[in-house]
Amino acid sequence: MTSDYLLRLEGVTKRYGANTVLKDVSFDIGKGEVVGLLGDNGAGKSTLVKIMSGVVPMTSGAYYWDGAAVPTVNRPTTESLGVETIFQDSALVPQMSITRNIFMGREITNPLGFMKLKKMDAIASNILDTVVTIEGIKSSKQLVASLSGGQAQAVAIARAVHFKRSLLILDEPTSALAVRATEALLDYLRQLKSEGVSSVLVTHNLHHAYKVCDRHIVMNHGKKILDVRREDTSVEELTAAVVEGEVGVNRFRAGTF
Amino acid sequence: MSQPTERPPEHVLTAPAPTETVITGRRLSDNTPQTFAARFRENIQYSRGRGALEIGVIVALVLIGFIIAGLVAPSQFPFLSASNLSGVISQSIPVLALMGIAAGILMIAGEFDLSLGANVGFTAIVFINVSESAGWGWGIIAGLATGTSIALVNGLIVVLTRIPSFIATLGMGFFWVGASIFVNGTSPAILVDGKDDALVAIFAGDFGFFRSQLLWLIVIGFVMWSFLHRHKLGNHIFAVGGNPSAAKAISIKPNSVRLLAFGVFGLLVAFAAILISVRTGSMQPGSTDDYTLMAIAAAVVGGTSLNGGRGSIIGMVIGAALIRLIENGLILAKAPGFYIQLFVGLIIVIAAVFNKLMEGKAS
Repeated sequence: MTSDYLLRLEGVTKRYGANTVLKDVSFDIGKGEVVGLLGDNGAGKSTLVKIMSGVVPMTSGAYYWDGAAVPTVNRPTTESLGVETIFQDSALVPQMSITRNIFMGREITNPLGFMKLKKMDAIASNILDTVVTIEGIKSSKQLVASLSGGQAQAVAIARAVHFKRSLLILDEPTSALAVRATEALLDYLRQLKSEGVSSVLVTHNLHHAYKVCDRHIVMNHGKKILDVRREDTSVEELTAAVVEGEVGVNRFRAGTF
Repeated sequence: MSQPTERPPEHVLTAPAPTETVITGRRLSDNTPQTFAARFRENIQYSRGRGALEIGVIVALVLIGFIIAGLVAPSQFPFLSASNLSGVISQSIPVLALMGIAAGILMIAGEFDLSLGANVGFTAIVFINVSESAGWGWGIIAGLATGTSIALVNGLIVVLTRIPSFIATLGMGFFWVGASIFVNGTSPAILVDGKDDALVAIFAGDFGFFRSQLLWLIVIGFVMWSFLHRHKLGNHIFAVGGNPSAAKAISIKPNSVRLLAFGVFGLLVAFAAILISVRTGSMQPGSTDDYTLMAIAAAVVGGTSLNGGRGSIIGMVIGAALIRLIENGLILAKAPGFYIQLFVGLIIVIAAVFNKLMEGKAS
């Protein structure tokens, strides 16, 4: 059972008590597609990310992976499907070294479970040299606590890349990055695409999203209000959608925004 | 948990070509130290945040001071006498260090067990009573099982109810003190029939300077170092203590790791209880409460973070050494007993402040 999409969400609703944060959201993420997930604070982006990555269960709705329904969506299943999420702040353990963070939970070990630290260090150095250009890191043994926000983010991205996941969800990856690092990251997403890896870029920054995403999904008050291919939209329309919701889209299309 | 994947370097994605000037900076992979000395220097440099180095220097200074005092006034301050040296280095430091390692591993996982002292007491009573009735082989098995179970029950309470571990284990500590009096009565449990030469040689043997306790610390210390710093499960303990949500996002199960830490803790505490009861040959119920804070003090003094995620086996051993050395110095200087409490209380606070400062510096 294969299909043209990698992940399909159908009629996803999420309630916290009486509070409905997602209302009947459906969309596909194609294979090798870069999808921008946009919206203002409180639009439901983070909840959607958590549902896609299996950290939070949905109240109702269906989760399909490559043509097959996934009956129970939790972190172990999404992990085995190859979904990797880089959360804003919580991706790394600050008290641990870069190497140990990169291999956390996927340590290279001998059959008894003892880590091959030298090998891990060598691979980590190689990842840091080649995957993402990060300046100012002296050694892969450095503690993550001693890195800047951008450097830490880059390490988290390098980790996901190295373990070649099939769907990469990046939650506000550019918010802490310097201009040059952001350019590197966006280039990197294009490269992921050419390798057939799908990615979801969650961001406030429409310009970043517009540069690299094939498709844009705009959320507003828990509802999907726009789902357009890049060639059918513009930064201006996306801005209208994010700022004013459906009203903004209609006004933009009527030329009165 | 997925198998760790290894990929040859050519599959690693290449960096986007730099748009402006080509950065000709050092590559990390070329930077890898080749010689043993260079590797050692790098390890020291990047492990400084763990605090073992700083406390090691303090211990060395204290030791030098004591040696000088012992040389200058050997009769008033007999620190260098053979019996004193072997008593401190070979016996009192190792037993505290084992409990310090137990408390420290649990603290790295982000949990405390304040029932440590009560666990020592109850385990010792089980060990002594079973040894008396069924032989010391069964006594050891029963003792290790008891200590581990007590800790695992604590762990289950913490994991299932999500109440803070210091409250849960504080309550369970009182429970096990009461239980040891309930089981044994108020008179001490005494090891007579079960105490034979082989048992004493194994757990409290005196081979000149070396005593069994030090040999056990070397063996167990190495095993625990391999486990905590070199095994993937040790890596998971650091991850869960440092940032549980990051660990969870990478599909490490925080609760399993916490239970594992409680189990290792219990096993080590039970072993320490056996060492103590074989040496003294008896156990008075309710007499072991002090061990709780002494063990936590050893871990904290050795640079273990109170917030989890940071610490080292060598630091915990050095922390225990500092506490026991100063205690020994106070005894040799004939200071009243309460000085030791004054000192241990003070040093916990100082070490905690020091740790806090270092954490601030690291981030």
